[in-house]
Amino acid sequence: MKSINKIIILLLLLVAIAGCDTGFLDRPSQSTISSNNFYQTTSDLRLATANLYGGSDWWQWHYGAFLPLGDILSGNAYFPWFGDFVQLYTRTITAQNSVMQSAWIGLYNVVAQCNTTINGINQYAPASVSDKDKNAAIAEARFIRAVAYYHLAMHWGAVPIIEDNSKLINDPLLNRNIVTDVYKFIANDLTFAAKNLPATDVPGRVTTWSAQGMLGKAYLTMAGLGQTGGIRNQAYLDSAKFYAGNVCKNSGIALHPSYSELFKTQFNDVPEDLFALQWAPAVGWGNGNMLLTYSPSNDINPQKGGSWTSLAPTYDLYLLYSSKDSVRRKASFMVTGDYYPELNAAGGGYKAGGPAMKKHIIGNEKDNNAPTMEFTSSIEHDALLRLADVYLVYAEAILGSNATTTDADALLYFNKVRTRAGVDPASTLNIDTILNERRIEFAFEGQYWMDLVRLSYWNPQKAIDIVNNQQRVTFSYASGVATPTASGTGGPQSVLPATISSFTLPLPASELAADPKLADAPVPYFK
Amino acid sequence: MNENHVIRWIQRVTKNLLNKYAILAVMLCSFGLASAQDSNEIVTGTVLDQSNGEPLIGVSILVKGSNQATITDLKGAFSIKAKVGQTLWVSYIGYASQDIKVTGGNLTIHLKESEKSLNEVVVIGYGSVPRKDLTGSISSISGNELRKTQPATFDQALQGKVAGVVVQQVSGQPGGGVSIQIHGISSISSNNSPLYVIDGVIIPPPSDPDPDKSHITGTNPLSAINPSEIESIDVLKDASATAIYGSQATNGVIVITTKRGSVSAPQISYDGYIGYQQIPRKLPTVNLQQLASILNDRALSWNFDARPEFANPKYLGAGTNWQNELFRSAPQTNHSLTISGGDKITQYMFSLGYYDQQGIALGSDFQRYSVRLNLDNKTTNWLKIGTSLQLAHVDENVSTTGSSVISTALGITPDIAVKNADGTWGGITNTAGWITSVSNPVGLATLNKDKKYRNQIIGNVYAEIQFCKDLSLRNEVTGNFDFNTEDRFNPVYAFGKMTNGINSGSYSAGQNYYLVVRNYFTYNHAFGVHSINVLAGHEAQLSTYANVSASRTNFPSNNIQSISSGDPTTAKNGGNTGDNSSEGYFGRINYNLMDKYLLTGNLRRDGSSNFPSDHQWVIGYSGAFAWKIKNEKFLEKVEVINDLKLRLGYGQTNNQNIPGNTFVTQLQTVANGLTGIAQNQVNLENLGVKWEQMINSNVGLDGTLFNWKINFSIDVYDRNTHGLLLQVPFPLYSGTTAGYQPGAMSAPYVNIGSISNKGFDIRVGTTNISNKNFTWRTDFTISHNENKVLSLGRGGSSANLSQTYGGYVFAKTMVGQPVGEFYGYVYDGVFATANDFKTHALPVDQNGVKRPISKLGGGIWYGDRMYKDLNGDGIIDTRDQTYLGSPIPLFQFGFNNSITCKGFDLNIFFSGNYGNKILNQLAISQNNPTSNATYFTSVLNYARTALINPTGDASNVNNVYVTNPTTTIVGLRNDQTNENSRPSNLFIEDGSFIRCKTIALGYTLPEKLLAKVNIRSLRVYVNVANPFIITKYTGMDPEIGSWNPLQAGWDNGYYPQSRVFTFGINLKLN
Repeated sequence: MKSINKIIILLLLLVAIAGCDTGFLDRPSQSTISSNNFYQTTSDLRLATANLYGGSDWWQWHYGAFLPLGDILSGNAYFPWFGDFVQLYTRTITAQNSVMQSAWIGLYNVVAQCNTTINGINQYAPASVSDKDKNAAIAEARFIRAVAYYHLAMHWGAVPIIEDNSKLINDPLLNRNIVTDVYKFIANDLTFAAKNLPATDVPGRVTTWSAQGMLGKAYLTMAGLGQTGGIRNQAYLDSAKFYAGNVCKNSGIALHPSYSELFKTQFNDVPEDLFALQWAPAVGWGNGNMLLTYSPSNDINPQKGGSWTSLAPTYDLYLLYSSKDSVRRKASFMVTGDYYPELNAAGGGYKAGGPAMKKHIIGNEKDNNAPTMEFTSSIEHDALLRLADVYLVYAEAILGSNATTTDADALLYFNKVRTRAGVDPASTLNIDTILNERRIEFAFEGQYWMDLVRLSYWNPQKAIDIVNNQQRVTFSYASGVATPTASGTGGPQSVLPATISSFTLPLPASELAADPKLADAPVPYFK
Repeated sequence: MNENHVIRWIQRVTKNLLNKYAILAVMLCSFGLASAQDSNEIVTGTVLDQSNGEPLIGVSILVKGSNQATITDLKGAFSIKAKVGQTLWVSYIGYASQDIKVTGGNLTIHLKESEKSLNEVVVIGYGSVPRKDLTGSISSISGNELRKTQPATFDQALQGKVAGVVVQQVSGQPGGGVSIQIHGISSISSNNSPLYVIDGVIIPPPSDPDPDKSHITGTNPLSAINPSEIESIDVLKDASATAIYGSQATNGVIVITTKRGSVSAPQISYDGYIGYQQIPRKLPTVNLQQLASILNDRALSWNFDARPEFANPKYLGAGTNWQNELFRSAPQTNHSLTISGGDKITQYMFSLGYYDQQGIALGSDFQRYSVRLNLDNKTTNWLKIGTSLQLAHVDENVSTTGSSVISTALGITPDIAVKNADGTWGGITNTAGWITSVSNPVGLATLNKDKKYRNQIIGNVYAEIQFCKDLSLRNEVTGNFDFNTEDRFNPVYAFGKMTNGINSGSYSAGQNYYLVVRNYFTYNHAFGVHSINVLAGHEAQLSTYANVSASRTNFPSNNIQSISSGDPTTAKNGGNTGDNSSEGYFGRINYNLMDKYLLTGNLRRDGSSNFPSDHQWVIGYSGAFAWKIKNEKFLEKVEVINDLKLRLGYGQTNNQNIPGNTFVTQLQTVANGLTGIAQNQVNLENLGVKWEQMINSNVGLDGTLFNWKINFSIDVYDRNTHGLLLQVPFPLYSGTTAGYQPGAMSAPYVNIGSISNKGFDIRVGTTNISNKNFTWRTDFTISHNENKVLSLGRGGSSANLSQTYGGYVFAKTMVGQPVGEFYGYVYDGVFATANDFKTHALPVDQNGVKRPISKLGGGIWYGDRMYKDLNGDGIIDTRDQTYLGSPIPLFQFGFNNSITCKGFDLNIFFSGNYGNKILNQLAISQNNPTSNATYFTSVLNYARTALINPTGDASNVNNVYVTNPTTTIVGLRNDQTNENSRPSNLFIEDGSFIRCKTIALGYTLPEKLLAKVNIRSLRVYVNVANPFIITKYTGMDPEIGSWNPLQAGWDNGYYPQSRVFTFGINLKLN
């Protein structure tokens, strides 16, 4: 009897071990999808590319660097109470400046997501998904990757080009690539996108017109690269003119009739927005649009919080607006006494207590009928490329290396931008009128610094002079009179004048220590 | 509860129990009488302690081969029925058992206290051997030894006690974890934690399975174990010892054996203590007057930020010392009651524990309630079943913000009151934007709720079948079940201009199951001079986790905090489930020839779900040889040597320590403004990832000399790890992160290279004096390890693993260097004279152009720090950085003295580190006069400038000098062009220390006296933990543990270890 018991137990044991079959060690994730099971249908591809339009991928750059680099560094805005912002304002940027680092990290985060999406589609999408759909999805990713590299090139010039992040596993330390190759890479991506993106898509998705507009802008930038004596490369100017002109004339898209509506959430993703980030509410820190942290007051923010770094416009920017240009002025920044009924409408609106940025400040969750909106997750879909931008790029491409132009096309599209804002049309264009028009039209949209960098490529002295001659001070405003701040915070700062070095950001200190090859001379990417 | 009450209560209870058990014992004896019909002689005797001749009470006496059993009475006397020629087995806890042949008449038996080094049984994994027959490198420590330091958790007590094991406290927070490295840093993947096995149950190491959460709070799953229940801890160090445990044992194994019942009358013991803890050291922060004078000077230099309230510093008081406010003298209490005993059929151990510790920082508390039941039952003559079962409930308050409490206390300036006169919480009210709003740490710790509750079941059920005399099979099911919740609530509050306008609450619950099914055969056979022990088995492990969380904001009342009372439209939730598994087949042979030559061979095949299917399985092996030299003829007569053994071991073990499902890219559902949802890629895949392998060689020598007075153990080892698994910290352009970075993908796990650890460890124990009234023993352990990175993959000579702080690389792991070496510039004074600007290199901008010398923003000026131009190219750039020392100690040691004199015992224990460096992160921020926090008083000596010609130009470089040129503190200029906070040896300090860990004085009351009140022994003691430390380190505590070897020795204001005064008793009843 006893030995029978023993045998039974032994048999049970053998059965138990045999029960541990080979599948025992296969434990796929229960909370996420694996890439090798994804990209199976066109709708999978659309879910994958949707991710590239916002969320955590873009957060680091958008929150940490977008406006500081575009508008503080260029002299449009100031916030005196944060040392890293002050460094931008005074052009004393160190290699550990957190804004600069956020831009570097954030833009490469976008590149990494784009690269893995492209590679995932190429690797896993089955034949049942049509080539057209695959290419359209890849085109979206390449468009967005190009936008990220465009910002990288504008700020740092030569940067490492990464197409497949997995290759870093075997070869983690990269050289910088020469700046002309970075722009060539951008142009390649945008050309592919222009060819493979559809002419129309759901609102918010990029189309061929987005790609062609961006390509025009890239070529306009490339036209100045490495040029001297104020002459730009005509071949690139012609390309810029071709693509931007094509968008102006053949896209069927027109400017949105109201300038101020462009910055209201009811008008998210109007056709003029050729590329806008697609932010969602209720996503919390690290995932959302946090431009509400630049708000002048907690009273008009969701949850009555988060107005940490209210941006003040500079006196230099203020002086640029003619008295007729009040629509764009009031939509871009407020001055003391301005009344905005739509901000905290339930509380009776908002009366500005001093000069402050208005763009992107959209009020609280009730104003936007978005109960889960937080100050860390504004629902504004802010545009990185508007049709108005392409119009002005077109006009500038026509101006080219000439001192002035009265070209009818250039004037037509240039003046469409002006007349929409309610200001008088121009009769002749030069580089100053175009630069100033862009500065006004895109104030607090992160563009002006890149306009100055573009200028510095082919006319460095002019760019240096513009920066050095700015009235880079804040101002107070009372009874219709603006008074520049005298001294102390926001007033004149005793800093060394800008040089051509000022138009390139330093590389992050940690990055140089981790990858000493970044300090070497940049190498070609295209062999 | 009052201690006296407890003691009285226990006395009452135990008396009752004793009466009952006496009856039980009598019944047992009568059973014996009944069943032992043919016994006819009554043997009587007395059992005495060999060292002092005192009678031993409660000694178990068994007649071998029968059911006869009894225990000695108060006078040590016994009587039992036995025949002449039969053998009595005499056993007593803490004493060596003896077999006594019955010769008739009255016996006097002298029991000797266990000679640890010889009779001790050592756990070797799925079995145990006497220490004398050990072939691997295993150190052991008894529970009694462990408890001398009064640890809250047992892992804290291993420090300095076990040679070759580097123990560092990661957080002094109650219940906080320690980092343990056995024989160096062999792996750099997340942690080097050894495998913890408690009664066969594998316990996840302190940073698993939830690394992020643990890093913040320092929560330690090992904290659920009551140190009073521990019988012994065995630390398995070399491959020959660990290989049998397979895939998780590469970093060594710590085997914890809890007390079990023995065949004896009931043993009841109570351990209890109360203690008070203090912060051992406070940092030198400025008072209000000093702060005001610095800020006034700064405002003059900056031309803004003049604060009218500071206009006249001498009328200001000292202000608030936030360290005094945040730290308190805090009590701790421990009660532990153990009852054990048993008969030949069933042995039991039952224990109750309660531990309560307030943290020395406000808002940190720890309470543990635990119950343990260990049972062994010999069901039939071929079947034995049993269980080890522990239930624990842990309450923790972790509302002190994480582990960086010191930096929290230093974040707020002395001009802020804890509470204002009107009773509101103090806070910064200055509305100037420059002055950032900071939380009131006392207010936060008081108002915010962050409580963790955990129920843990650690259980082991086994059945052992004896097929025949030599062959047995053991089936084990073990589990570690962890149910945890975290309850948080942040009410509406205002600390000056820092306000929380809307309250919020969150609640999360999780469960982790860790199950192992294990079956193994053991075969023992001896023939002639040979004896053999063979083990073969299989085990399968499955671990699953599940968690949910919910949160809402806008609660109508701060008092009603359950989630459902918050605003439903703000509700958020989340949750995850997952699992991973592993499986192994293992075998071992132990062969003993003539009790002189011992051979061990191990083979194990492991599979893990953490790897892609083509890399799932791996083979590990080891072999060991031991030569008991003393048993050779040529040493037989050498009386100086009592015992001598040489051990050689070699083997390969494998490590799977990466999270599951990281080899392929995972896509997570995220909210998106375009389509509602989108799929975000959360990690960068590496389909080629495979097991990490370690080749380990070990040579050891154990010996006892001079009439057992000196015993020693020496191990020399060489460990090489290949295919190092690491979540690689790539440069930032990779778009990946090994830490936390929103938007970056998790970095891939890669087999990146090789690492070498060579070292030795020595333990020497001596009995300096030993006589009837006085003994003095010392134990000394010393460990030395040399760590070197041999390769780091294909990044070429520049390949490195960098760790950043504040945008700078402060530690860089490179080929040829130890892991985690500090890296940076060499500080060379401040610019103090015009000549300094001529002789010292200047930093350059992004285009390599030297920064101008100018008082203006963007220039380099007096008071900026100078750095050495190491490559001699005339400029300061990233190429001028070098290695600044290693966080790894050259030596770690422990030194213990125990003295007994009659009833008194005194124990003094020191431990220390020598030759390691610490990055003092607080010195970077708190010595920076441009920051907005409490400064160290050293800032008063900021670089002050003066003019050579007082009426001359203040911006002329030739007209200025620094009046205090030897200062290390920069000037007050509002400009960072020189990057004065860049990493340099200024912030890297010598971390060597000698710490007196414990001084314990105890008195054991005379047994004769106690016998009258039915008490077997009573010891009362006082104990001081961490009474003093000798170190040059300027921070709070030089003992900086870390779970990330790449970032070891980084002091960001850890929760320090406290000084603890305790009073306690150890009580044993019969």
